[in-house]
Amino acid sequence: MKKILVIIVNVLIMIAMLIFVILYSNIQSRDTAQRQVEQFEKATVTMERVTENYLEGEQRICDVWARYINSKDMTIEEAISFIRISHVLPNASAHIVYLDTMCGLSTKASQNLGGDYSVSYERMYLLDDVSWINDIGEAVNISRAYTNPVNGEQSLAFCNFVTLHDPGTDGHRNAVLLRVLPVSELEQKWIFPQEEFDNAELSMIDASGNYIIKGHSFKNSNFFEFYKSYNTVDPAAAQELWGKVTSSTGSFSMLNSRGEECILAYTPVAATEGWTLLSFMPMKELNVNTENWLLVGFVSTGLLILFVFDLAVMIYFNNKLRAAAKEAASANKAKTDFLSTMSHDIRTPMNAIIGLTAITEKNLGDTESVRENLRKITLASNHLLTLINDILDISKVESGKLNLSPQTFSIVETVENLVNLSQPMIKEKNIDFNFRVSRMETEYIFADQLRLNQIYINILSNAIKYTEPRGSISVDMREEKSQKPDHVRLTYIVSDTGIGMSPEFMATMYQPFSRQTDSRVNSIQGTGLGLAITKQMVNLMEGTIDCQSEQGKGTTFTVILDLPAAERQREDMMLEPMDILIVDDDEVLLETAVETLSSLGVTADRAGSASEALGMITRRHETGADYSIVIIDWKMPGVDGIETIRRIRAEVDQDIPILLVSAYDRTDIEDTAKKAGANGFISKPLFRSTLYDKINDILGTEAKSVEPEDDNSDLQGLNILIAEDFDVNWEVISALLGMYGINAQRAENGRVCVEKMKSAKKGDFDLIFMDIQMPEMNGLDATRNIRRLDDPWASSIPIIAMTSDAFSENVTECLNAGMNGHIAKPVDIKLVIKEIRKIEEDKK
Amino acid sequence: MKKLLCMVLIICMIVSFSACGGQTQEETAAGFIPALDTTISCSIIVAGNYDNFEALEVEFDRFNEYYPDVQLSYVKLDDYNNTLGAALESNDKPNIFFSYTWMNGDSKYDSVFAHTEDLSDSALKLDLDCIRQGLVHKDPEGRVLMVPVFSRTYGMLVNNDLFKKEGISIPASWAELQTACKAFSGKGYSSPMMGYSADSSSCFMYTVAYPMFVAALNDNPEALALANKLDPAAGEYMRPALETVEKLIQNKCIDIDECDKIGDNYTEVILRFFEGDVPMMICAGDTVSGTRKRESQSEAFIASPFDYSFAPIPLTEDGGYFIDSPSVQFSVNKDCDDLEITNEFMRFLITKTELNEMASVKRLVTPTTDLSVDPVYAPFGQISPERTISPEVLGITDPLTVQIRVASFRVGRGEISVDEAVAMYGDFE
Repeated sequence: MKKILVIIVNVLIMIAMLIFVILYSNIQSRDTAQRQVEQFEKATVTMERVTENYLEGEQRICDVWARYINSKDMTIEEAISFIRISHVLPNASAHIVYLDTMCGLSTKASQNLGGDYSVSYERMYLLDDVSWINDIGEAVNISRAYTNPVNGEQSLAFCNFVTLHDPGTDGHRNAVLLRVLPVSELEQKWIFPQEEFDNAELSMIDASGNYIIKGHSFKNSNFFEFYKSYNTVDPAAAQELWGKVTSSTGSFSMLNSRGEECILAYTPVAATEGWTLLSFMPMKELNVNTENWLLVGFVSTGLLILFVFDLAVMIYFNNKLRAAAKEAASANKAKTDFLSTMSHDIRTPMNAIIGLTAITEKNLGDTESVRENLRKITLASNHLLTLINDILDISKVESGKLNLSPQTFSIVETVENLVNLSQPMIKEKNIDFNFRVSRMETEYIFADQLRLNQIYINILSNAIKYTEPRGSISVDMREEKSQKPDHVRLTYIVSDTGIGMSPEFMATMYQPFSRQTDSRVNSIQGTGLGLAITKQMVNLMEGTIDCQSEQGKGTTFTVILDLPAAERQREDMMLEPMDILIVDDDEVLLETAVETLSSLGVTADRAGSASEALGMITRRHETGADYSIVIIDWKMPGVDGIETIRRIRAEVDQDIPILLVSAYDRTDIEDTAKKAGANGFISKPLFRSTLYDKINDILGTEAKSVEPEDDNSDLQGLNILIAEDFDVNWEVISALLGMYGINAQRAENGRVCVEKMKSAKKGDFDLIFMDIQMPEMNGLDATRNIRRLDDPWASSIPIIAMTSDAFSENVTECLNAGMNGHIAKPVDIKLVIKEIRKIEEDKK
Repeated sequence: MKKLLCMVLIICMIVSFSACGGQTQEETAAGFIPALDTTISCSIIVAGNYDNFEALEVEFDRFNEYYPDVQLSYVKLDDYNNTLGAALESNDKPNIFFSYTWMNGDSKYDSVFAHTEDLSDSALKLDLDCIRQGLVHKDPEGRVLMVPVFSRTYGMLVNNDLFKKEGISIPASWAELQTACKAFSGKGYSSPMMGYSADSSSCFMYTVAYPMFVAALNDNPEALALANKLDPAAGEYMRPALETVEKLIQNKCIDIDECDKIGDNYTEVILRFFEGDVPMMICAGDTVSGTRKRESQSEAFIASPFDYSFAPIPLTEDGGYFIDSPSVQFSVNKDCDDLEITNEFMRFLITKTELNEMASVKRLVTPTTDLSVDPVYAPFGQISPERTISPEVLGITDPLTVQIRVASFRVGRGEISVDEAVAMYGDFE
């Protein structure tokens, strides 16, 4: 599903949820509001009851007065006196007004005309029409709110007709008795029992909508006019509304003069004729929306956060998936490329091997041809093996199972081996090659020789491979003090004038299967694994590898490793005092060689050219202080080493010992050099031990310091059970182990191996070498069965896989089955010995 | 594109959510800065004789924007002239009350004025200068005990569209008035001018005669003194006014029988005018105040609305007069509760903005110097100052107005001749 679709669906779901919440909230609000409104209506009805009771109570008092006055044939003065005595309310008063004159008397004197009890309703327009006044006791005869003409207060009057005796005419006059009460008296009774309606206002209107009593939020003098002023309503609807308001109980919402939505509840005042009690309150006072909007806000915020979070997570995972997909595609492509390369790289030497074998078969009589073909087959086989080893190594690297197996070895041997291995290609490409060592005092190192060798060879072979013919390569190796105790720091620098690397390639050059895309590179054999393996191994040895390269100019690799110095070292490597001349055009070499020779206790002079050397030798010869030995480099500009020797022999001294130094394969020049007068040969680099041994050798002195022998006594008498179904392999391995004094017994397959272990006694075997693919029972099942044996010794015996299944998956499979290690075929006896020693050390 | 869409959707949601809780801030009246604590809680009662005072109630709401807890209410006092004094002494004493110029000097209202605050006190900071000076009355001691909130004048409602429709120019002089009336008569209009004629109160005869009589007295201070003393010698000064009334009727500008069909001097006058067939309806400004509300009550006007205005009646060759009198005036009860906030309300109300607002709602003539606020009254804004007369400033008294009102009514109804009316000056009741 496309991302945009997911987003739209998410948003739609959110909107749907919000709509639901809002609708739900609204329904809830409406319900709550409805309940509140119903409460408000009920409260209004309660207020009406209060009003009704009040009005009826006051009317009854008026009725009692009227009845009494009528029954006693009183004059107006007598009636007023009677009422004045009767009523007790301080705010109430009573007026008796003659209907013919609209004038009369009040129980209280005028506010501003003290002592004047007369009262006039002439301009009140209250009693002009008295049809609303019923007979005594029949109804509540209440006036509208009007201004009390005596004290100016807004008042209500409860009325009754009375008939008064007129002393003037001795007849009777009709009058109205008004029990007058301030409006505030009634308003004080209007207190809503519910707190939430504290701000409600009450008004009372007559049938025409005119206010009897008016709350301050009610505008106009007529409620209906007030409604029309601030609310839109058509005349028909208005009439219907007025009808409802004045005849029933109910409520509706309307806008007040401030445009606020209000609720208006109405109910008829039963005690009156056509009066209606109105309760009015702003809708916001009902307080029904706050919580719901809080809910909506809360849900909205929550959904928004969820949405943003989901979006972020989705983007994060999409990016990861995209990267993983890209990586997978890249890995897939790399694997395809790798297989294609492998196919090519394996077929090439295989083609040579098969082809040369066929040729050899046909020319078995030609010994020279057979030897040459076998040599070439060996070369092709070695290349094939290197390729397979590389694949195994990278397999181990990928699975993280590349482990180091340290042992004591001579760095001199390693370097010599390195030089020897590289010689053929250097010679073939006619490369100017220099190998210089400096301050190499520690000869024996305790490290993984194989891996160290691999590091040095990989870097050097790359330099050779990618350097054009007649280019130059220089190797510098030096020993420095390490920060780690009992360690030495070996710095290995290989500089070439090769094709160099692009910055883009350098960024990925340590990744497996990466090779520079270059037409020049494509023609060079390679798996793209070398640097990856090298880097992993350097990391494993906790060293550093650095590369400086410029396309078209060359590359410099620097490897720095802190390696532990072996306990055993050659001691007392000191020569007798003597004078030695060393001749080379390489200033650096001269310097390091002089330094090395000095450390051996001799005095070393140096000459940068043949002519300088000749001069120095001649001068010494003439003074009778000949150099004890002259060491001359073969390749020097102008006069080379052989010619120099020839001249020394011819011009100065026939007897002076001369060593010819070469960084190259000397087989081609050996005869020529000997004829010219060279007494011996020495290969670069000039290690201290190399110089020591060679000088002693040429001077015929016995070396005081001898190279320590490899001590294999610890392996003597070990018993190893070898599960191997293939006879030749059994013969090879048993013979090789025999060379180290190790006893080997054979089990022809896994089942036999298990049987042997079942019947073996403790100590019969020290370890088992287990082939994997065997008939009857394979090595993995055999291992599992052995591990399940009851005898704790037998079940815990070390088992090392020795198999052609050499990929990391196979190694993992072996370890999972319960094996302790893995050796790939074809076996390297050194590796085997190393593994045995490791097992033995683990046992200790 | 996708990110953009996401952003837009998120913004939409946020805007929607924020809109949920939004509330529109109502605009508040500009210019007024409260001087007291706006959280003050009290009540202010304004007492008057209007049945209904919605224009003032609008001002209450506007004032509540500043002082939300001040409860303002308007109370109508029955028999106002007689109960005001008692009300000012009562428990419910109003904070502000209606007052009229004619109350000045009447001993009956001495007790009223005993409670009245001097509104010219600079401490009150009332903007009295926003009111036309002819309307602000000062007592002999220089006090301003009442400030007008509306003014009153006399004129005629003119159906502008009808004049346009009939191709007749709106008259600006007596001659043009006669011509226009003849033209309308010729087009079948039985009474080109109408007005209330059933009794003397607010009758059209008085509305025509009063400005002319006041103008005559304005030109002759001695005559004014005689007239105020109700000296019969002053009757002669009524003659031009009475003759004008008579001529309007005799010249068939006004058909009395048609006018008699108008049942009252307010609502029916307006509704008759809204019938749309009356070119000119003679009335006072107080009547014009009811026109806005009655536009929606007149089926004829709803069916055929028209443009109208209120203009001086062109009683002379130089046009009409702008009789500029205070209508309702407010006084402050200095003995009321919460006098401070009452004065604050007066400070709020007595400004050009609020008085114009109130006049606009009530559709009465504003007392401020800006007459252009309501286009209906715009013709009065064009009257020159020399033809603007303020009877109160001139010294016209109430008994004098009774003489001209009754005289003109009776002449108009044909009960007495002009000569008889002139002779009877001082005797009319």
